Amino acid sequence: MISIYILFITAVLVLFLGLNKSETKFGYFTSLILILTTILCVAGAKGWMNFDKLSTWAPQNMMFFGPSEYLFTALITFIVAIVLWIFAENKEIGTDRIGLILFATIGAIMMIGYQHMVVLFLGLETLSIPLFVLAGSDRERLSSNEAAIKYFLMGAFSTAIFLLGIAFLYGGTGTMELQAIGLKPSFMHALEGMATPVMIRIGLVLVSIGLLFKISAAPFHFWSPDVYEGSPNRIMAFMSTVVKSAAFVAFSKLMLAFSGVKSDWDYWIVAIAILTILWGNIAALKQNSVKRTLAYSSIAHAGYLLMYVLIATEASDFILFVYLLSYALSSIALLAMAHQLQLDTEENLNFDVFKGLSKKQPAMALLLAIFVFSTAGIPVTAGFAAKFYLFSSTFASYPLLVFVGLLGSAISIGYYFKFIKSAYLETGTSDNRIVENRWVYWLLAMVLVAVGVFGAVVLQFVGV
Amino acid sequence: MIFQNLDISHYIYLSTVLFSIGLFGVLFRRNAIVLLMCIELMLNAVNLLFTALSTYMGDADGQIFVFFIMVVAAAEAAVGLAILVMVYRNTRKTDVSFLDQLKG
Repeated sequence: MISIYILFITAVLVLFLGLNKSETKFGYFTSLILILTTILCVAGAKGWMNFDKLSTWAPQNMMFFGPSEYLFTALITFIVAIVLWIFAENKEIGTDRIGLILFATIGAIMMIGYQHMVVLFLGLETLSIPLFVLAGSDRERLSSNEAAIKYFLMGAFSTAIFLLGIAFLYGGTGTMELQAIGLKPSFMHALEGMATPVMIRIGLVLVSIGLLFKISAAPFHFWSPDVYEGSPNRIMAFMSTVVKSAAFVAFSKLMLAFSGVKSDWDYWIVAIAILTILWGNIAALKQNSVKRTLAYSSIAHAGYLLMYVLIATEASDFILFVYLLSYALSSIALLAMAHQLQLDTEENLNFDVFKGLSKKQPAMALLLAIFVFSTAGIPVTAGFAAKFYLFSSTFASYPLLVFVGLLGSAISIGYYFKFIKSAYLETGTSDNRIVENRWVYWLLAMVLVAVGVFGAVVLQFVGV
Repeated sequence: MIFQNLDISHYIYLSTVLFSIGLFGVLFRRNAIVLLMCIELMLNAVNLLFTALSTYMGDADGQIFVFFIMVVAAAEAAVGLAILVMVYRNTRKTDVSFLDQLKG
């Protein structure tokens, strides 16, 4: 709750104070506030501070923040802080974009702490509606317009399906509270051996489709490469990490409520996960644009993460946390580096931007390699640790899925190698720009390597 | 009254049919204004279903949910129309067939 208050007040202040001012300073300021929020949330998660008094007015059956919710909130605010800091250098006038990003972040936090379907729905919309605007925030550029209208149509369409699903679940179970919604089918399954009523099954499928659109799992992923490519780079960094993280936390919480009737839904989640992993990785192979490659890579990661939905228990949050942390940090860093190396225009961000990086800025080329290794899941990086925990805990129940996951990771080397190839093997004629904010990249790389090497220590800290 | 003879299943069928009309409209029409109307139709079908289920079960939650859906639908329509105006300024069309710039 505390994070929602802080972000709301900051958003309103930033919107009013920065009306005709340059965005850069406000970006740094907001980023610092977000870091402060992250620290407060970690303190709340570890029990060093207690914020219960602040949330007494909000009924516990609507929204609840326990240790794991605080931890995921800390993750979200940290990601947004990094995005705002790393992309802060621009010449925009007016701070409305920062305000909208903060409101979208509030939506993501609502999705993490929800206990009632109303809050999940409102969180989803609070997250999506600012992003419709932000995707089109380069008003003159036609591809940005296209991204906005595609994202809007897809978002509104998936929201309607999601709502129909909630209506069916409500009709089938008679409740919309997360704690109670799975009880009826679970009892019917466990005590009387009865099949789940068809209304609940339909509801579950429809709600999942609504969330799978947001997660961009195949075959509901078709919008995401286009939208990511058309949106401004900063907004793509936000969409591919924050939206995905929040939607995964919400989705796994929802499915956990229905874990009593897992045999009703696990087979189609497995099918979607296999399809997503293969589709994402294979389609990424033939892309030439950095943004489209990263978009398909994020689809593939969504496929791996769907494994977590199958194995989620109350005590397995750390797997999701470590995976989301490694995925988010490395993909933001890759995108930001490409963004900063690129010469002026936003259009057509292809692999040539990295040409000759190892000659001119060897340190940055090394960091680029670390980020690529982490995204690909190569040892001593966080990506490997995350994949290892995820695959090893899935293997007992779904060996086929883990096999497909390993195959997908092997395919993915093919396109992640393109980054390394153009940075190290191709001698560039293009004069790269200098990477700004170097220490942020160093920080991110250090976090990734630390999680990769000292995984167990991190787990002890996270293990709530 | 005829409505008292109606079973809950009739409401479910009606709202599913209305929802499907909206869904097929979104999939097959190309005019952005019509798309907005179809999405609105889908949301209102859900509203109908919520209201009917809520009355059937004697539970107020569903009816309160309808208010939230209405608010969000209004916000979504506002943003959607604003995006459409922005697109119209650049292309002079409300047809979404200009959506072929991004491919690959």
